[in-house]
Amino acid sequence: MIDKKLLSLLIILILSGCTKVAPQAPLNGGSNISDSDTLNSQTVTIDEENINQQGDGFNTPNSQYNSSSDGFHSLYFGFDNYTISSDMQQVLTYNTQRAKQMNGKLKIEGNCDEFGTDEYNYALGLKRAKAVKDAMVSEGINPSRIVIFSYGESNPVCNSMSDECYRRNRRVDFKLVR
Amino acid sequence: MRILVFFLLSIYLYGVDAILQIEKDVEVRTHIGIVDSSSQRNSTIEDILLSDLKISGHFLVDDKIYNEDFDTPIMTPSLKNQEYVLKYRFESLNGSSLSIRLLKTSDSKEVFKKKYSISNKLKAPFLIHKAIYDINGFLRYPDIDWINRYVIFSRYTTPKHSEIVIADYTFHYKKVVIRGGLNLFPKWANREQKSFFYTSFNGLYPTLYRLNIYTGAKSKIISSEGMLVCSDINKNGNKILLTMAPNGQPDIYQLDLSTKTKQRITTFEGIDVNGKYINDGSSIVFVSNRLGYANIFKKSISGIGGVTQMVFHGKNNNSIDSYNNKIVYSSRESSNSFGMNKFNIYLQELDTGRLRAITTTGNNQFPRFSNDGNIIEYIKRYDGSSYIGYSNLATHKSLLFPLGVKKIQAIDW
Repeated sequence: MIDKKLLSLLIILILSGCTKVAPQAPLNGGSNISDSDTLNSQTVTIDEENINQQGDGFNTPNSQYNSSSDGFHSLYFGFDNYTISSDMQQVLTYNTQRAKQMNGKLKIEGNCDEFGTDEYNYALGLKRAKAVKDAMVSEGINPSRIVIFSYGESNPVCNSMSDECYRRNRRVDFKLVR
Repeated sequence: MRILVFFLLSIYLYGVDAILQIEKDVEVRTHIGIVDSSSQRNSTIEDILLSDLKISGHFLVDDKIYNEDFDTPIMTPSLKNQEYVLKYRFESLNGSSLSIRLLKTSDSKEVFKKKYSISNKLKAPFLIHKAIYDINGFLRYPDIDWINRYVIFSRYTTPKHSEIVIADYTFHYKKVVIRGGLNLFPKWANREQKSFFYTSFNGLYPTLYRLNIYTGAKSKIISSEGMLVCSDINKNGNKILLTMAPNGQPDIYQLDLSTKTKQRITTFEGIDVNGKYINDGSSIVFVSNRLGYANIFKKSISGIGGVTQMVFHGKNNNSIDSYNNKIVYSSRESSNSFGMNKFNIYLQELDTGRLRAITTTGNNQFPRFSNDGNIIEYIKRYDGSSYIGYSNLATHKSLLFPLGVKKIQAIDW
């Protein structure tokens, strides 16, 4: 066993040899500075208020929870998920049939709840939009007609911190590009 | 036997000595008292002054602020307990000015004196930051340049509309740089903070732009269908990491800003985002859902060595930042969306795997290293309020400032 007195002595020796003091201000005459700094450099503000945003379409909600337009229905997803569930298949089929009756480009917008960071959510929203696009293409829609877009968390239909609101925001919206 | 005992004793004493050394370093901070010599009290200036001194990690500050004349020696007896006294006089007539004197209490000798002025009163917080930065440097403490830097962030205003804002680190100063439309994910383009990258979602395809905050000069970098985010810039400033989805598949790319050549780095069919350079820039860390949930991985840009999982705890790990061989990230620890403890910030050293929790309560996200890697900035949501937090890695001290803004979408420092 280590002798306690020896240990204590060694610790004291170490402490006395490792003294560190707070930095001291230099005390020579050159350190009594008396001058001034003028801080400047004005920054700009850019206004993009009037820039047209693409694909807003004409909103004709078919139900309380539909945020798509032009007669389409929104699709909803599970948490952190971009698989089209079985109960959404009917909605997908309806939208595909409707798209076949129309001309022009179709914009599919992926959206997310506010959970997690937006960069991940933009990717998640995009995966949702792509899953829907792939499903519609497999049902005969020309892929060149579809543009996919992700709004991440930026386009909520509600703002309360509830399961119901999160569920409503985890969706894909459809609209025609004009 | 004696050699073995000596060897064991040496190891034991080294451990003891290391612990004692760390504790002693903390106590080497300067004891400082504050005197307000202004004609009118300004609580905001007081708050910023105290915050700057505390978060620097180099000062032990008396929270009580005394009042004395500016040009006199130290008059208040209780101030003699400090090592230094900082007298300041703040004026706000045509613009703002801050005059300071640093006095050594042992002999009331003035060791530092300076005046700072700015024409834009709203930028007064930067006078304080500059003053504390100078005092810190004068006392020969390690540099705290981060205190003078802008924070840039984006926030939603209404659905599909946002603003990009610059602020001082305390968020007492804020100015909108881009208003209107949907412009997100700002990222400083250079160390001098003269310009930043951001993504515009105003057209049919997301587009990355670079904007000079002093001249307003704007240049297009690249467009990509689906999504486009600049997540990091290399130390030379000539290459950037992008999250792009040219075929609807989000992956991480490296873009050479000079040649405009793109190199795809990740190829997983799921979600790969938020790439950050580490060490010498030959590797990246990033967030991926390749295990079925968001987690953090490492990969060399050349592709040699495959993908390595970096974090082995938490239910959802995202929002990563890096500084040399350290990473900081946000980890979800509760499975209940409405629980008090949702996301916490962790610091990990890549070489040793050593892990340390930076926060313990609330919903903490967007961790960002200061430009010297000594401070971690983050956003905390707790009990219905939002704060911007700063944690000094050396002193383990943290400060919170009320955010007073709508939910932050993305932030860079």
